[in-house]
Amino acid sequence: MSKVTLIGGVSLTGVGGDNWSKMFSDPAVSASWKISAFYFVATVGIEMLLGVGIAILVHERLFGRNILVSILLMPMFVAPVIVGLLGRFLTDSSFGLYSWLLRLVGIDSNVLGSPRTALAAVVALDVWEWTPLIMLITLAGLSAVPQPLIEAASLDGAGYFKRLWYVVIPSISGVLLVALLIRAMDAIRFFDIIWITTNGGPADTTKIIPLRLYEIAFRFFDLGYAAAIGLTMLLFSIIVANLFVALLEKKKGAAQ
Amino acid sequence: MIARRSRFASVVLQILTVLVVLFTAVPLVWMALSSIKPTNDIMSHDPVFFFRPTLEHYRGLFTNGNHVDRYLVNSLVAAGVSSLIATALGALGGYGLSRSTMRGKRHLAFWIISTRMAPIAAVLLPLFLIFRRLGLLDSLSGLVVAYLTFNLPFAIWIMAAFFDSLPGSLEEAARVDGCSRWAAFWRISLPLTRAGLVTTWILCLVFSWNDYSFAQTFSGTSSQTLPIAATQLITQTGIDWGQLTAVGVIVVVPMVIAGLAVRRWLVTGLTLGAVTGE
Repeated sequence: MSKVTLIGGVSLTGVGGDNWSKMFSDPAVSASWKISAFYFVATVGIEMLLGVGIAILVHERLFGRNILVSILLMPMFVAPVIVGLLGRFLTDSSFGLYSWLLRLVGIDSNVLGSPRTALAAVVALDVWEWTPLIMLITLAGLSAVPQPLIEAASLDGAGYFKRLWYVVIPSISGVLLVALLIRAMDAIRFFDIIWITTNGGPADTTKIIPLRLYEIAFRFFDLGYAAAIGLTMLLFSIIVANLFVALLEKKKGAAQ
Repeated sequence: MIARRSRFASVVLQILTVLVVLFTAVPLVWMALSSIKPTNDIMSHDPVFFFRPTLEHYRGLFTNGNHVDRYLVNSLVAAGVSSLIATALGALGGYGLSRSTMRGKRHLAFWIISTRMAPIAAVLLPLFLIFRRLGLLDSLSGLVVAYLTFNLPFAIWIMAAFFDSLPGSLEEAARVDGCSRWAAFWRISLPLTRAGLVTTWILCLVFSWNDYSFAQTFSGTSSQTLPIAATQLITQTGIDWGQLTAVGVIVVVPMVIAGLAVRRWLVTGLTLGAVTGE
């Protein structure tokens, strides 16, 4: 709640609620919140769907499951900066492999550089990196589903998809919730991929709130204002963290 | 579920599997190929799949004033030291958290984990101000401390989860036989969680090795890490993609190997003990 001046050390001048009222009326910041919300829902949503789908696919395999899982897990360990740089490399309009593939199907555009596709492109990069995490967690849940349960459903005449929907998915719902919360927490933490690919551009179409915060803090040095935005972000992660801890408590309570 | 599967279904499964593998692996394979590809072939408008492999990009990284070796050492020191400290303190803290029955434990646990969940962009600012005051900007010790801000709470939580999974009776037996609390921890519980220790260490290593935000904000010329080196290859005059993909390989390969080495315990580690592995 202070205006911080950086020249000659830190000096605080009280400005009361100014930074807070500014935050709620600043169109640039509210635009960033909207992009953040979209980015968050899109990445976490797609990652959940794909991750669960891939986990079920992998779980169906009898042979070569180990090596398959190892391959599919790799993106998780790649530094987000490298993911971003690889994204730029693969979609470069003159020599990128994926641009070449897109040209083959008739799309000739610089996906990261065009305001219409940039957000979708950074979402895709995030999905590539973090879907494996959801898959890994779901897979652990799937292998814990009691086999007799599935056999019983099968004897009652339930087909594959019916079994999946009415037996398997409900019995891993707890694990899925953990996956969702873990991913949700990290989705609001990191911003490296967008930072290195578009840095919020073109025309601010990918400027999620952490990038806006960074810019306000370290380019405009309006630290008080940045802190107000930072605290608001913190509020969100505290809510998610609380849900997570409550879930763990419940699980421990059930185990005892 | 597998016994009666139609031929059609298994073909569909195969195709889907291939698609998923391609989606995952193509970017990494392409990066590795490009790092040993002559520059002309990298810049070709249509992708080149057959070429004479070359090590010129890797050579270029360590000569001509590029000194990637310095970045490599910085990365090793910052990530290595920070993850070791986090694991050591995390084992002690995690043990305490796991065994304690004090009131308000839940709040303490929540407070610890919330520091790890805080958005990095929100943490950077106060840390920057503190570091400037303490003279920790542009120093490796500063980076080690910065990485501890997220590694330590993470390590405490994972270790607590691993200690939780040990049967308490072992320690009780040791105590009855005259072991002190410390001896029971040091001689019984700690060796039994070796897998937990290694997993914790590797996950902390991966997270700090892969960090960009902290290094970009706090480090100067004498403490830059490998991810920074990668971005510095992007210059006004253009990007040397051969060298960049080579740096990419150097950054990625060790972490993929380390991560896959602890695959069995990854689920426990990454869900902070909320889900136990296969």
